Amino acid sequence: MENILEYLKEERAQAWRDELRKKIKSKDRTAIVRVKMHEQDHDIRSRNNLEVNLGLKKEEAVIEAQRCLDCVTPTCIKGCPVNINIPKFVKKIEKEDFLGAAKVLKETNSLPAVCGRVCPQEKQCEQECFYTQKLKLAPVAIGYLERFAADFERESGMSSTPDVAENNGIKVASIGSGPAALAWASDMARFGYKVTVFEALHEIGGVLKYGIPEFRLPNKIVDFEIDNMKKMGIEFRTNFIVGKTMTIDDLREAGYKAFFVGSGAGLPRFMNIPGENAIGVFSANEYLTRINLMNAAKINFDTPVLSGLNVAIIGGGNTAMDSVRTAKRLGAEHAMIIYRRSEEEMPARIEEVKHAKEEGIEFLNLNNPVEYKFDKNGKVTSMILQKMVLGEPDASGRRSPVPLENSEYEIPVDTVVVAVGTSPNPLIPASVSGLKTTRWGTIVVNEDMQSSIEDIYAGGDIVRGGATVILAMGDGRTAAAAMHKNLAKKLLTK
Amino acid sequence: MLDLTTRYLGLTLKNPLIAASSGYTSNLEHITQLEQNGIAAVVLKSIFEEEIINQFHESMGGLDKFHSNMEYLDYYDYELKNENINNYVQLIRNAKAKVSIPIIASINCVSNSEWTFFAKKLQEAGADALELNIFIMPSDQTKTGEQIENTYIDIINRVRKEVKIPVSVKMSSYFSNLSAMIQRISETKIDGIVLFNRFISADFDIDKIAVSPSYVFSNDKEYSLPLRWTAIMSSKIKCSIAASNGIHDSEALIKLLLAGADAVQIASTIYLNGMGQIDFMLKNLEDWMQSKNYTSISHFKGALSYNNLKNPAELERVQFMRYFSDHAIDNK
Ligand SMILES: Cc1cc2nc3c(=O)[nH]c(=O)nc-3n(C[C@H](O)[C@H](O)[C@H](O)COP(=O)(O)OP(=O)(O)OC[C@H]3O[C@@H](n4cnc5c(N)ncnc54)[C@H](O)[C@@H]3O)c2cc1C
Ligand SMILES: Cc1cc2nc3c(=O)[nH]c(=O)nc-3n(C[C@H](O)[C@H](O)[C@H](O)COP(=O)(O)O)c2cc1C
Repeated sequence: MENILEYLKEERAQAWRDELRKKIKSKDRTAIVRVKMHEQDHDIRSRNNLEVNLGLKKEEAVIEAQRCLDCVTPTCIKGCPVNINIPKFVKKIEKEDFLGAAKVLKETNSLPAVCGRVCPQEKQCEQECFYTQKLKLAPVAIGYLERFAADFERESGMSSTPDVAENNGIKVASIGSGPAALAWASDMARFGYKVTVFEALHEIGGVLKYGIPEFRLPNKIVDFEIDNMKKMGIEFRTNFIVGKTMTIDDLREAGYKAFFVGSGAGLPRFMNIPGENAIGVFSANEYLTRINLMNAAKINFDTPVLSGLNVAIIGGGNTAMDSVRTAKRLGAEHAMIIYRRSEEEMPARIEEVKHAKEEGIEFLNLNNPVEYKFDKNGKVTSMILQKMVLGEPDASGRRSPVPLENSEYEIPVDTVVVAVGTSPNPLIPASVSGLKTTRWGTIVVNEDMQSSIEDIYAGGDIVRGGATVILAMGDGRTAAAAMHKNLAKKLLTK
Repeated sequence: MLDLTTRYLGLTLKNPLIAASSGYTSNLEHITQLEQNGIAAVVLKSIFEEEIINQFHESMGGLDKFHSNMEYLDYYDYELKNENINNYVQLIRNAKAKVSIPIIASINCVSNSEWTFFAKKLQEAGADALELNIFIMPSDQTKTGEQIENTYIDIINRVRKEVKIPVSVKMSSYFSNLSAMIQRISETKIDGIVLFNRFISADFDIDKIAVSPSYVFSNDKEYSLPLRWTAIMSSKIKCSIAASNGIHDSEALIKLLLAGADAVQIASTIYLNGMGQIDFMLKNLEDWMQSKNYTSISHFKGALSYNNLKNPAELERVQFMRYFSDHAIDNK
C-alpha cells in the first residue's frame, strides 16, 4: 500500500499534471455541473434492443474531466476494486489525450469499455469521490469517462493488440470464458503461455454475453475484445464442458500445466414456494440466456415464446432489472418488479432502476410472492403476493423485510421470472476430487487465488458466490500473476 | 400381561410416553437411545422459522452495507431456509430408517406465512405426524386476542390443506377463554392438541440489576396446569390430547391419564434424570396398574375427567375462597 501511495504521488507530481491543475481554479472546476449521459428516448428504446446510453461527445468528456480536482489523496481509487489510477486517466482526457487515457485504464483493467457500462460506480469510485464525500455534490462521472476513453480507442481504429512475450510452449487452460477467465487469459498470453479457453456454451463471454442484454452492453463491444485476444494467440474452444467433454485429469494428460477455474455462478436459485414449477415460471438465468443466446423471443423459433403480457420479475438486482426491461421490449403490457424490500435496498445499479422506471416498468416494492397458481395444463395464471414492511436493520445496517399478516392478494400473470440469485456451478467442484469448497459450493482459494490443488486456480463468481465484473476480472489478473510466478519457477528455470 | 398401548393422533403407541420436542430429539443418536429406553414416539426438535431469520441476520452481520447489498445475498435467507429444511428432511429420513417408533415432525410457526408449505416436505420425508408448535407471543400489543386466535386457526387450515398425515397443535395456555379456544381448535380438521407449549420467561438478576435468562426446565409441580385443562376438556373434544409441562414422574403421568390424556410428553425429566427415567416411569405405571387391578390404560384413562366427576366444578374453581381461608387457619 505504501508503495502504491508513493507511486501515485510521483505520478501526480509530473509536470503535465501540475500544469493542468494550475490551468483552472478549483472554484471554477466545482462550479461545473455534472455531465448528462445521452440516451435513446425511453418511448423508442423500450421497443428496440439497441443500447440505451449513447455516450459522451469529446467536448463533454473534456469538460467533465475538468471537474476532477486531481486530489492529493485520490479516495476514488480506494473505491475501485482493481485500483485503476483514476485521476491519471481523467486528467489524460482533460488533456485531450484520449488514447493515453485508454492506456492508463488498460494497465489495470482489461475490459474498460465493459466496466464503463456495467460497474456499479455509484457504490464504488464515485461513492468515494471528493465531490460526494466532502462537497455533497454529484461526483465526477468516472464511469462515463471510462466508457468514453475505451470507446474512443476502439472506434479510432488505433487500438493496439497488447505485446505478447515469446511463446514459452507451456499450455495452460481456463474453464469458462466470463470476465474472470478473459482477464486471466489475456495476462497469461502476454506472459508468453499457450492459452486455451474452454467454454461450455457456444458463445464466449460468460454473463457478459448470455446475461447482460444488448441494450445495456452490446455484444460487439465484447466481441471486439475477444477478437483482440484471438490476435494474441489465445485459443477459444466452445461447446466444451470441462468435467464432461473432458475432465481436468484428461486435460493434464493432454499436456496442460495449470488451470484457471472461472466457471461462474450460473445455477439458478428458487424460493421453493408452491407453484414455482408451473409452466411459465423461469429462472432469470434461463430466461435471459434463451433470449440473448438463442433468440427464443423471435416468432417461429423452436424454443417457447417467452413474451408474456403480464410479466412479473422477482428480485431487485441487476438480473431482475435486465429481465424486466427485456420483458418490456418483448411487448409485455405489464412488466413488473416484485421486490420484498424498498427501492433503497435494491442491489441493482441506480442507473438501471432509473432507466427501468422511465421505460414504464411497474415497481411493486414491499411485496413478496407466496404462491403461484396455474391452470389444468400446468401453465401459471396468477400469483399470490404478500405485503411486507421493513423491520429493524440487521447488523450490516440493512433493513430486512417482515411479512404483513393477512395481506395476501392475487394478481394475474402469464410469465414469471425468478431473479433471486444464483449458486456456483457445481460441475467442477464435484468432478475434481480433493478440491476444497465451502458449504455454499464456492471454491476455497488463498490470496493468490490458488485452490487446495496446486495447479488449479480460481476466481470470479465461483469463488465469491456472486460478484461484479470488475471483481471477477481482478481475480483473474491476481491468479495470472501468481500462476506465472509459480510456473516460471518450476518450468522455465530448468 | 398389562396393555400399555394407547391411540394418539390415530397412531397406536406402545405406551403413553412421548419424547417432547427438545434438544434430545434433534439428532439420530439420541433418538435411537430414546427408543432403546422405551419411549413410544418422538417429537423431533422443531424447525424454527424465527431461528432461520436470526441465522440470516447473523451471517449478514459480518458484512458491511455494500457487501450485504450484493445481489446473490439478497435472498440468502431462502437458501438458509432450504438448507435447514433439507437437513430436517434428512433427519426424518434417517430416523425413519433407524427406529421403528413413530416420528412426529414439529414446525415452529410464528405467523401464517408461506412457511406452512414446508409441511408437505416433511410428510414426503416420511414423518408419521406433524406437530405445529404455534408460538405467538402474547405480549405483542399490536395484536388483539381475536387476531391471535384467528392466526392459529388459519395456520391449522393451511397446513391441513397441504398434508394428509395427522396434525396436532401444541398450543399456548394464554387465552382469555382457554376452553373455548381449545374447543375451537378441536373443531378444525386437527387430529390432536398438545396442552401446552412452554414460554420461557426472562428472569432478573438483582445483583447486576439486569435481565437474565431463566431456568429452561420445568419443575415437578407445573403439571397442574395441563392436568386441569386436560380433565376439563378431554371428554368434551373429539381429537387426541397429549399433556406436556411438568410431568416428571409416574405419579404425574398417571394423573394426566386419569384426566383423560391419550399420551404424555416429557422433556425436562429426561434432561434432569437421564434416559433411564423413561423405563422407571413405565415400571412404576405398571406397578400402580397392578395394584389397582387395571390391565389396560383404557380401563382408567379419563376416570377423573369432567364428565366422569360427580362435582366437576372442583376442576373449574379458580378463586381461593374458602379453601384459602381454611388452609390459612389450618396452618396457624
Ligand atoms: C443478468 C446479470 C446482470 C449483471 N449485471 C452486472 C452489472 O451490471 N455489473 C456488474 O459488475 N456485474 C453484473 N453482473 C454480475 C457479473 O456479470 C458476474 O459477477 C461476472 O460475470 C462473473 O464473472 P465470472 O467470469 O466469474 O463468471 P461468468 O461470467 O458467469 O462466466 C462463467 C462461464 O463459465 C462457463 N462454464 C461454467 N462451467 C463450465 C464448465 N464446466 N466447462 C466450461 N465452461 C464452463 C459458463 O458457461 C460461463 O460462460 C450481472 C450478472 C447477471 C447474471
Ligand atoms: C432444551 C429444550 C428445548 C426445547 N425445544 C422445543 C422445541 O424445539 N419445540 C417445542 O415445541 N418445544 C420445545 N421444548 C419444550 C418441550 O417440548 C416441552 O413442551 C416443555 O419443556 C415442557 O415439558 P417438560 O416439563 O416435560 O419439560 C423444549 C424444551 C427444552 C427443555
